[in-house]
Amino acid sequence: MAVAIGTGAINILLALVLSPLFEGLIRKIKARIHSRVGPPFVQPYYDLLKLLGKEDLQVSRSYLLRLAPMLTLSSLLVAALLVPIGTIKPPLAGTGDALLLVYVIGLAAVATMLASMVSENPYSLVGMAREMMMMLTVEPVMAVSLMVAAVNCRSFMVSDMVAWHSVHGPSLSMILAGLALFLAMQAQAGKLPFDVAEAETELIGGLFIEQSGPKFALFKWALMAKMVIFSAILVEVFMPWPKTLNLPLDVAITVAKMLVVILLIGIIDSVNPRVKINQALSYFFVVMFVGLAGLAFALVGA
Amino acid sequence: MDPLVVLYGSFALLIAGAIVTCLTSFNARASGYVAFVVMLVAAVAVFYVAARVFLYGPIVSQQPLLYLPGLATSLTVRVDQMSALFLVLIFFISLLATLYSVDYMLYYRHESVVRYYPFLLAFVAGMMGVVTVSDMFFFFVFWEFMTLASYALVIYEKESPVTLRAGFKYFFLTHIGTICMFVAAIILYQHQGSFSFTAMAAGIKELLASNPGLVDVILALFFIGCATKAAALPFGVWLPDAHPAAPSGVSAILSGVMIKMGIYGLLRVFVEFLPVSHTTYVWGMIIACFGALSLFVGTLTALVQEDSKRLLAFHSIGQIGYVLLAIGAGLSFLPILPAISAVALIAGLYHVVNHACFKSLLFLNAGSVMYRTGTRELNKLGGLAGLMPVTAATALVASLSIAGLPPFNAFVSKWLIFQTTIIGGIDAPLLLVFGVAAVFISGVTLASFMKFMGTSFYGKRPKLIDSLGIKDVPATMIVPQVVLAALCVALGVAPFAVLTVLYLALGSAGLSSYLPSLLSLFGTNPIAVGLSLGEGVTGAWNPLVFVVIGVITFLVVWLIYVDAGAKVRITESWYCGEHHEPDLVKYRAHSYYLPFKRLFTFKIGEHQIEGFYPEVKLPKITPPEGLRRALDLDRLLYYPLASLIMVLARRFSDVHVGVAQVYVAWMSLGMLAAIVVLLSLAQAL
Repeated sequence: MAVAIGTGAINILLALVLSPLFEGLIRKIKARIHSRVGPPFVQPYYDLLKLLGKEDLQVSRSYLLRLAPMLTLSSLLVAALLVPIGTIKPPLAGTGDALLLVYVIGLAAVATMLASMVSENPYSLVGMAREMMMMLTVEPVMAVSLMVAAVNCRSFMVSDMVAWHSVHGPSLSMILAGLALFLAMQAQAGKLPFDVAEAETELIGGLFIEQSGPKFALFKWALMAKMVIFSAILVEVFMPWPKTLNLPLDVAITVAKMLVVILLIGIIDSVNPRVKINQALSYFFVVMFVGLAGLAFALVGA
Repeated sequence: MDPLVVLYGSFALLIAGAIVTCLTSFNARASGYVAFVVMLVAAVAVFYVAARVFLYGPIVSQQPLLYLPGLATSLTVRVDQMSALFLVLIFFISLLATLYSVDYMLYYRHESVVRYYPFLLAFVAGMMGVVTVSDMFFFFVFWEFMTLASYALVIYEKESPVTLRAGFKYFFLTHIGTICMFVAAIILYQHQGSFSFTAMAAGIKELLASNPGLVDVILALFFIGCATKAAALPFGVWLPDAHPAAPSGVSAILSGVMIKMGIYGLLRVFVEFLPVSHTTYVWGMIIACFGALSLFVGTLTALVQEDSKRLLAFHSIGQIGYVLLAIGAGLSFLPILPAISAVALIAGLYHVVNHACFKSLLFLNAGSVMYRTGTRELNKLGGLAGLMPVTAATALVASLSIAGLPPFNAFVSKWLIFQTTIIGGIDAPLLLVFGVAAVFISGVTLASFMKFMGTSFYGKRPKLIDSLGIKDVPATMIVPQVVLAALCVALGVAPFAVLTVLYLALGSAGLSSYLPSLLSLFGTNPIAVGLSLGEGVTGAWNPLVFVVIGVITFLVVWLIYVDAGAKVRITESWYCGEHHEPDLVKYRAHSYYLPFKRLFTFKIGEHQIEGFYPEVKLPKITPPEGLRRALDLDRLLYYPLASLIMVLARRFSDVHVGVAQVYVAWMSLGMLAAIVVLLSLAQAL
């Protein structure tokens, strides 16, 4: 129990308190690639603080409109507790497994989409439909990647997956599944070239066009948390080595690996233009096949 | 009280209620309340019986109610835990649907309820018979009872040719299925000389040793019959027409309960009659294949629908696909992996229960929208959440449930289905593929219901709807929706209780020797599920902890939000500085997911096939001209008779010339004739 609370605190700290810092890192990289100086690392904190204090404009008095941003961020915090960071057992190991993790991340996306539906703006509805289509193709990729791990360790418990992989070392199926998950991350975190649901230049923010002030802050925060959670899943399930069994050291190693992953995401984000929605869909169908190939290799034990 | 007497009593009450509602049909509401009271009393009685069965074991009638010596068959009643489970489902959903109908039927101003409530009660009585008898012959009697009553309900709007056509398709296809099952039963009857369930089981067991080929034929015939009723593709093509055609209360029963009778039949045949053998494995795989086909094609086709009830009907096919996939997986693992098999079968039953709750609720929601707006077309709807808040909230719960999001009910059943197909799929890769498809389709279901919610309840409200002055539906329609929504949540957060009941139901269907103990499957924690499919715990789900942690994190975020202290101001939607009429900028149902729908739409020749669902158009049956003339009673009887009468009448009218002198002449002639006759008679005497 005490261990669970301790590791849970670490996860919440990373997903909620430190996630803007990761975003700041990406913005810095983007600026360097554009040959700019870029904002300071802590700029996302300033942005969030500024937005939280701004006037909250609402198009209707719907209760959903008010609840949805909080629901989005809080379900992502629950998701953060289902992922191990530095440990083998996630803080909420007994509450759910990898399938629950996929669904809780889905719950966050559903809350976001509900908010955009309630806001009645046609731009936000277009954004919502695009987000749903992206989810339709990206969520299965994530599920299949985790299935590869599940087939390998014959269990859906995240702790079993991490334990199995750290003992057995790399295998072809896990490499393919990890690759598929990595390719899907860009879309999940709403980064270029797959930020079609926001698409500032065509949909003026799409999903978030009617979100302002503190609501927009919470949605932005949720996107940052999502990136941390995804990179944690990727490094812990698909690259769990080395495990020293010394908690602070393991956490430090994991965070370092997550930084590398986020760095890569930042670079891809900076050098790519936005793709069209149908291009994104066909792309993820291909990525899906990478995941399925991983599944096939897992079945034959490779 | 003797539970059997209670059971017979509630059946008699339903039939008596059917007659009474015939007599009260001049007043639609009064009729509705009579039907509701009858249903309520019958339901309470049946719940009592079901509770007895779950507490003290099956109830069997000692002497048959009816014996047909010529057929050597008798009406015997046997209520085991499986029957009790389905009885509870039937009566719970039908009770709520009847209550809902009281006000809803006022929507049909030009139709009489004499064709509604009596058939509704008879329909429920028929389903009650199907799940309680233990004799194949009377199983068919009640099966027909149910089919015919539901046919009458489907064609309730008898003026509409679309409805009549849907009704005909339903009637025709389900009867093909019934004939298949009947042939299978007769083959077994020939071997055993009896229609009782025990004889059926014994027959299959003997034939399995002597003539396995014939067993496959029998099972195929049974499967076609049950799959037609359960609306698995390709047998279930009647469903997308029939369910939208019926009044919404009936649609809820049809989708929520009646198609589950097919699942009940499948379980009886494949779990109870068929001994565990290699045949079980083969047929499990076949059932799983049809399940995967249904869930894939049915749900993708649902995504392109723009009529609310038709959309829901296609999802019924999709969700039945999940059930069949689970049951098929369970059957095929029965000989090799008992733990995974038991969990898969329980998952299938769990999904049956869940589907009854959320799909009935969704049909009631769609009915409420239709009741107030008069349309089912999603393209014309929008923004109803502000006007019908309770209906919108319950529809949201149902949508999240069917999409399988935690902590709602379908999450548990889908989670178990994914677990068993994927972990079990290590030994049967085909099922693994189906499992992946099921995960993908789960997302498609979510997409479809986001569209349903976004087009009917959220988004911009069209002017036309604003002008109707809508408010939420009356209390008799609200109550069933709220109860079902509450149930969707309750079945999700208390999975262990449900699993225990389903475990007992499965055990009663002749599987008790194969089932591992409940605690070894789902762990010892009474508020959580610690699933073990192999060694140790392989999956965990603790809804209460999940909800508590969710509430805590929500409060944390809420505190951040409140602490910021931002002022709220209500504004207009922002259209980039321009002014637009709501109708012009409405995002219609047709526009949703177009790029994705295009990926799943193929054009073969001239035919546009959407979501690869081939629109089966039954050819218009025209009998040969000679037959039509030979059977034409109008030509043979009516017209000759009518013309004969016309000729006679014309002759008679010739007499009436309208001149007084002629009439006087006729009268004096008549008098003269009378006098002559009387005088001659008097002389003769």
